[in-house]
Amino acid sequence: MAKAKKSSNNDVVKVDFDFRRQLATKVEGNLASFCYQCGACVGDCPAATYSDEFNPREIMLKVLYGLGEELMVEDSVLWQCTNCYNCAERCPQDVKPAEVIISLKNMLADLGIYPPTVEKIIGTFEKTGRTTPLSPAVDRQREKFGLPPMQPVPMDEVSKLLEPAPGEEETE
Amino acid sequence: MKPFAFFPGCLIPVRYPAMEFAIRQTLPKLGIEIVDLEGASCCPDPIYFKSKDKLAWLSVAARNLTLAEDLGLDIFTNCSGCTATLSEAYHLLKDDELRDKINKRLKRIGREYKGTSRVRHVATLVRDEAGYDAVRESVVRPLDGMKMAIHYGCHLLKPSKIMNVDDPNNPTVLENLVEAIGATPVRHRNWYLCCGKACQHEGIPLNMMHALLSTVEDVEAEILCLICPTCFSQFDHGQVKVSKHFDYDFHIPPVYYFQLLAFAQGVPYEKLGFDRQRFKPECLQRFAESSVHVEG
Repeated sequence: MAKAKKSSNNDVVKVDFDFRRQLATKVEGNLASFCYQCGACVGDCPAATYSDEFNPREIMLKVLYGLGEELMVEDSVLWQCTNCYNCAERCPQDVKPAEVIISLKNMLADLGIYPPTVEKIIGTFEKTGRTTPLSPAVDRQREKFGLPPMQPVPMDEVSKLLEPAPGEEETE
Repeated sequence: MKPFAFFPGCLIPVRYPAMEFAIRQTLPKLGIEIVDLEGASCCPDPIYFKSKDKLAWLSVAARNLTLAEDLGLDIFTNCSGCTATLSEAYHLLKDDELRDKINKRLKRIGREYKGTSRVRHVATLVRDEAGYDAVRESVVRPLDGMKMAIHYGCHLLKPSKIMNVDDPNNPTVLENLVEAIGATPVRHRNWYLCCGKACQHEGIPLNMMHALLSTVEDVEAEILCLICPTCFSQFDHGQVKVSKHFDYDFHIPPVYYFQLLAFAQGVPYEKLGFDRQRFKPECLQRFAESSVHVEG
């Protein structure tokens, strides 16, 4: 696969369209194409306020260039996003940077890269259908409030929904 | 009584049953009938599982919505995260191509998503279906003079084109709900700030919470009133971490709105599970004897 790379002249970037095409197969994966780099997303971004590394405009620029290798790494800056959607509120182009970041995280997941806490919660969901694990102590606590015990999730149904259908991502 | 399908999610029924108890206590007094959904799973959460696979995430969300469609009822949640997931699914699945894709998956389990059940957070459900006056009339011990800082969190309001519930830049629902129980809402300077839970970085959320708690303290609020269990865990458990990190003792009890409403409606303080919080809203105790109508 062709990779976007900076040429010997540092001002010139060769766009990796493969990376952008791959991103576009995700749900709402093509939103960044409408970004014109105005930076409205940055001013109201709490992560950008308190981080030297996180900048939604820069992430959108990397997507436009297809600079995937800077984002598809362990400890990716993508995980500094707080998911607050202030960027989506401010964007004049309806890019929804927070949503683009989630699509990029889907690509990270395809590579099997997650922060450990995230991987653990996803595992709990895939095993039990809930993100918060059950235990006998949970039901004892519920009983104190007159609430019935927790019921198991019908995982026979939920598990069947998690498998992709052949070719279903290719239409976008 | 108007029936609505109740989607309790994971965090509240499993970790904060006092919040679920409060919902079940308060809504019937406002003319809202709670109908339990059989067989619901995690919404799934809009942070972790959504980051793995949006299409699978949408499929599971759509399945949850079909449970309410089977009952012919609109759905309400008690958690901003569940509201975000289910509302976004409802919004995205208006697209024919995407709905077909999801329905192909749902066909594996003999289900079909139709898009007939609207999704609402319990705060906006109360606003729209009961109204603030009904809340006011249900109160037997108004929390007169109590200053409450408001924390909207993010996912009740944003993205506003999807959530469609209030002006994200100047919302009013939570202020009005707080006023309806007799308390005084105060909008601190950082009211717009996120709780930071989704951020997988140690320092950023600590700084955000520090900024927020500092402005809550500046306005001398006695309680930080919120409507999301994730924000609650950040400001309860997280407040200890912030205090340690910045070497400053914050003591601001975060409280889920519906526990406050239950208290104002006469449910005794001891029954509302406040003893399980790190920062207990003991300031409520001064209203404990303020009404002869208090239920036992």
